[in-house]
Amino acid sequence: MDINSRPVVVKRMPERLNSRTAREFLRDVRPFLAADRPQLVFDLSLVAQIDAAGVEMLLRCMSEAHKRDGDVKLASLSDQAAVVLELTRTERLFEIYETSTEAARSFSGFLPNAMRQQLLHNKRSTQPIAA
Amino acid sequence: MDIRGLLLATSEHSGAADAAPLTTLDVAGKSTLQRMVERLQQYGISQVSAVVEDAPSVGPRNFGLPSDVACISATPDRFWRTAENAFNEMAQNGAELVVLVRLGAYAEADFEKFVQFHIDRGGRVTQLASGPQKLEIFCISASRRNDAASLFRTQLAHCRIECPLYQDEGYLNPLAGPRDLRQFAIDILTRQTQTCPAGKETRPGVWIVGDAKVEKGARVLAPAFVGSMARIRAGAVITRCSSVERHAEVDCGTVVENSTVLPFSYVGAGLDLAHSVAGMGRIVNLYRDVDVEIVDPKLIASMPVASGKRLLASATDVLIYLPRLAWQGLFSSAKAPQPDLRETLGQTSPVLGNAAGFETSACDTEASHKFPNMVVARRYGHQ
Repeated sequence: MDINSRPVVVKRMPERLNSRTAREFLRDVRPFLAADRPQLVFDLSLVAQIDAAGVEMLLRCMSEAHKRDGDVKLASLSDQAAVVLELTRTERLFEIYETSTEAARSFSGFLPNAMRQQLLHNKRSTQPIAA
Repeated sequence: MDIRGLLLATSEHSGAADAAPLTTLDVAGKSTLQRMVERLQQYGISQVSAVVEDAPSVGPRNFGLPSDVACISATPDRFWRTAENAFNEMAQNGAELVVLVRLGAYAEADFEKFVQFHIDRGGRVTQLASGPQKLEIFCISASRRNDAASLFRTQLAHCRIECPLYQDEGYLNPLAGPRDLRQFAIDILTRQTQTCPAGKETRPGVWIVGDAKVEKGARVLAPAFVGSMARIRAGAVITRCSSVERHAEVDCGTVVENSTVLPFSYVGAGLDLAHSVAGMGRIVNLYRDVDVEIVDPKLIASMPVASGKRLLASATDVLIYLPRLAWQGLFSSAKAPQPDLRETLGQTSPVLGNAAGFETSACDTEASHKFPNMVVARRYGHQ
């Protein structure tokens, strides 16, 4: 079982997230969402303006990812994005991380226990035995 | 003795160059300017004038002041000259003492003792202080025009003579920004100040002005204030020292918690407004200390200030109301039941279009199933 082969896609969101840019962004990420168990991290550090259409797009991405047993996580939220997500009660639906790296790492951190044991076992078996 | 009051309101603290002064914004139903006029009149200073800095394009306004108060609008470049002229006019019309208050900070001074101190000391200009902080409140002998002129020409920074200080320990709010504005609302609603919210206290700690509309199913939990002509739609919750000012509207299912909704502002449906000052297309989040421009009118919008435009909008609503009812009667199978409050709070905002109605985890606990109102009780209290 190759559990490390699935990539984590980190995507930086545009500065203004309105209906037009949200549509474009969705078009960009759709191929990744269509993959089996997609793992996506959206970096919102540049977002200076986000409206209801932008939040709707985020929820749609999350919904698509969940359908394929994947997840969408958010990272580096700008103050503007954080305020709008809180206002629309959507911040509690996402896992939110300080940095994209932490968000990407978290995907392996939440492996089912059986898979984690397997990963640990594989790692041990590849390590050279001390003389 | 002829004692008169002169109030000066500048837009220095409002944050925007073309904005009206912060002191003209309503807090729990009345602006700081109105509250200070009331306070002076309580102390027997009945003749009060106000000089308010305003954009030239706006035209004369009275900022909700009573008709017996002379309100003079002045452009920023003419403000201090206008203030000096107003003082001179008072002196010419027989004033013996002028209490000069520059609004920025709101201070609940004891003006009787302040004036008595000035008279006892026989001073020409006396300044009020709160602890080590000197306030821009002066008592000036009207005959001392040159002393007054030196004050006005330095924007109250210096007087040509040494001003004795009168110490006052009353309530003081610097009103330097949105955080102070919010704190002022909290202090008024929790009775930390001598000034009270406008309107009638309908329940202990809840002030609702008579013509405000709180729809069935909406909850206003103490301490809270709902201003004149404000509208709280069904399912909305106003709580924790929140203040919804005049002509503001809070749409269905929105929770306003420890926040101020400024006059003529609209807050969209199904939102969570917490620790903020919202209005004029912006949200100042005090918890994050950030000022965010909201471009989406479905979230936060400004309502027309002109009564004609508001009337037109209301007329349009009335006109489409009956056809809409007829349409719903003909084509919808059954009337949709009004959602339970817990259910409303547990979902994302309806303004999110297709993504509306996502179940959020805040209300989805094991305990919440056993005790249906438990989450609401923990979060908003008094329920």
